[in-house]
Amino acid sequence: MITAFVRSVGRYGLFCWDCGVSAWRHGVRWDRVMGEASKLGVRSFGVLAVMALFVGTNLAIQGHAAFSALGAQSLVGMFVALAGVREVCPLLAGTMVAAKAGTEMTAQLAVMRTKEQIDALEVMAIDPRAELVVPPLLGIMIALPALTIISIAIALGSSVAVAVWQLGLEYGDYVDWLVSNITVFDLTAAMIKALVFAVVIATVSGWFGFFSERGPIGVGSATNKAVVVMCIVCITLNFFLTTVLYG
Amino acid sequence: MAEPVIRFQGVSKSFGSKVVLQDLSLDIPRGQTTVILGPSGTGKSVLIKLLVGLLEPDEGSILVEGVDVATATEAELFEVRKQIGMLFQDGALFDSLSVADNIAFPLRRHTTLSDEAIAAKVAELLAKVGLEGIEELMPSSLSGGMRKRVSLARAIVMDPEIVLFDEPNSGLDPVTSDEIDALIGRMKDELGMTFIIISHDIVGTFAVADKIAMLYNGGLIADGTPDEVLHSREDVVRRFLKRNMELPPL
Amino acid sequence: MSSGPLISVGRYGLFVGAAIRACLAGRWAFREMLEHASTVALRCFLPVTITALPFGAVIGFQGMAILDLFSAHRLISSLLSVFVIRELAPVIAAVLVAAQAGSSFAAELGAMRIKEELDATSVMSVDPIGWHVVPRIGAMAIVIPALTILAGAFGVFGGWLVVVGLEGQPHGVFMAHLAQDLTTFDLGASAFKGLVYGVLIGTIACWKGFNATGGAEGVGRAVNDTVVLSVMFVLVSNYLLSSLLFSGVFR
Repeated sequence: MITAFVRSVGRYGLFCWDCGVSAWRHGVRWDRVMGEASKLGVRSFGVLAVMALFVGTNLAIQGHAAFSALGAQSLVGMFVALAGVREVCPLLAGTMVAAKAGTEMTAQLAVMRTKEQIDALEVMAIDPRAELVVPPLLGIMIALPALTIISIAIALGSSVAVAVWQLGLEYGDYVDWLVSNITVFDLTAAMIKALVFAVVIATVSGWFGFFSERGPIGVGSATNKAVVVMCIVCITLNFFLTTVLYG
Repeated sequence: MAEPVIRFQGVSKSFGSKVVLQDLSLDIPRGQTTVILGPSGTGKSVLIKLLVGLLEPDEGSILVEGVDVATATEAELFEVRKQIGMLFQDGALFDSLSVADNIAFPLRRHTTLSDEAIAAKVAELLAKVGLEGIEELMPSSLSGGMRKRVSLARAIVMDPEIVLFDEPNSGLDPVTSDEIDALIGRMKDELGMTFIIISHDIVGTFAVADKIAMLYNGGLIADGTPDEVLHSREDVVRRFLKRNMELPPL
Repeated sequence: MSSGPLISVGRYGLFVGAAIRACLAGRWAFREMLEHASTVALRCFLPVTITALPFGAVIGFQGMAILDLFSAHRLISSLLSVFVIRELAPVIAAVLVAAQAGSSFAAELGAMRIKEELDATSVMSVDPIGWHVVPRIGAMAIVIPALTILAGAFGVFGGWLVVVGLEGQPHGVFMAHLAQDLTTFDLGASAFKGLVYGVLIGTIACWKGFNATGGAEGVGRAVNDTVVLSVMFVLVSNYLLSSLLFSGVFR
């Protein structure tokens, strides 16, 4: 089992390397990249906004529950700011894009594999990696940091609403605590995390789709595996990124 | 016989413990139609995938226009593939592109033709395969026979030297199947390209073939003109043909 | 989301209604449910635990940074346990099970729909909802609460690794404050959240798979929709459940 795991990781690495080589050799079609990025941004925005809204409200409620016992209401704003910006929002946007764009990419590639369309590209002397994997990869790398920043804004906004209306905190004080605990470095770190997640999401979903078994069962199981692996890898990498960035 | 355009030399391929091709040697003559026959599961598709470099042989060499695709670099392989068109079993049309965009796809990526020239070429090819005026349809709204015709138009759009047909009759009703056979026969006369047809459909095969190679258990059991194959003394060949044809007495 | 969200909600409601009817009428397979439950538990055990661990570790790490400002390090374990058990564990278990088992339920049922196995079941006059759907929903409802408790334990352990292992807080101090603000009610509430998410994810996955159309693409789309809708509704209902359970109404 361990050798199989190591072999898979090796193959995945090789796939990433091949994608890089393809992009280098055949050039990047920036019109496709921007198309992917804007498609992803538009399609994911609604769902992400809803999720960010509720993450903000949850953080405020939990912060309040945890810190009101200490008699330190000011900590609520700080908790929401730190947890939201540094950890939750990058992961939230990452998970969302993994669930939506990642699975879509895997399913689409797996269907193309099933219907021999990837083979058809190769026979037409067109590199399928440069055609099918590189544009979404770069598109996700552009869209995810932007979506992360948007989700941060929405989550912080909804936390203010809950703090003021549901928890009865003073508006001015709460916003002060919120804003004074967010630095430019925090936002940059969130973007760096988003970039790393983007690469993981696109390459993992590309890999599982590209080498999927043929047929409906193959499509289903490739999509299934891809989304689980993306979640695990992103959450684990998040820990290491946090220790490196804030350690 | 003309100089071979493709030459398989001692090719072997197995998946795990399953041997699919063993020490197979075969020449494909230029400008003629070669049919590779055999019951399903005898490695016909593997042969075609080896030919275009989608699979690598375990042993042997496959020379396409003098280039060994088994050892070619990616760039060499791409050059070889530009001389090959392929009709896939279910068409392999791109679902997100219209019929016209599907046919124009290789032109847009490999040539600098103007949009008008491309549109004209697409219309000409659609007429050739008997489907005028369906440029704007999407692949999902085409019938199986139409998908194969469009796929054939896409396969010959770059005027390739070699055209591969992977089971052109599979999944079609007998009437449509006959129409496709007739189309292949007409194309063969019009285009003068090298056709390689993989099939288990015997009647249609003998109508268009200049040469027939029959695969069985990973090797060739017959290799020659239709007439030679009809008179083969090989037991398996006779049994395979007998189901569908009147065999001449030995 | 499709063009008519309201119509979708209505169809989902009808589907859930059919599942409830099959369940009440006793037309469902108990053994199948146990089999699904054990498969889900086995397949999700690893993903849930290995994501809960780094999550707890991050909370330990960032929590120490916050409490540093107030020299209140000793409170980290109570903060950690409350946050992990009440909020994180149910959500992590739910999201990972949605990704792993929810998507595979959608894929299985979708493939069965495409290959006409569901129709075949009906033709043999076996109710496909009672036979294929109810056991899967039941399995989710059993497994997610159990995995929630497990995720809680591993999350706290992840925090312990950072706080005690990395930052060097004495083990005794960590343990002393661990259960300070935590009650059995919290554990029950956490498992209850898991139960709600289980029913949600189970019904969404089965609904999407059961109604898949259009070949291999249809299966891919069903899987995709399942994951997105599950994650979204878990987060939304998490807010409602947290407000309800921890606001003091039930204490």
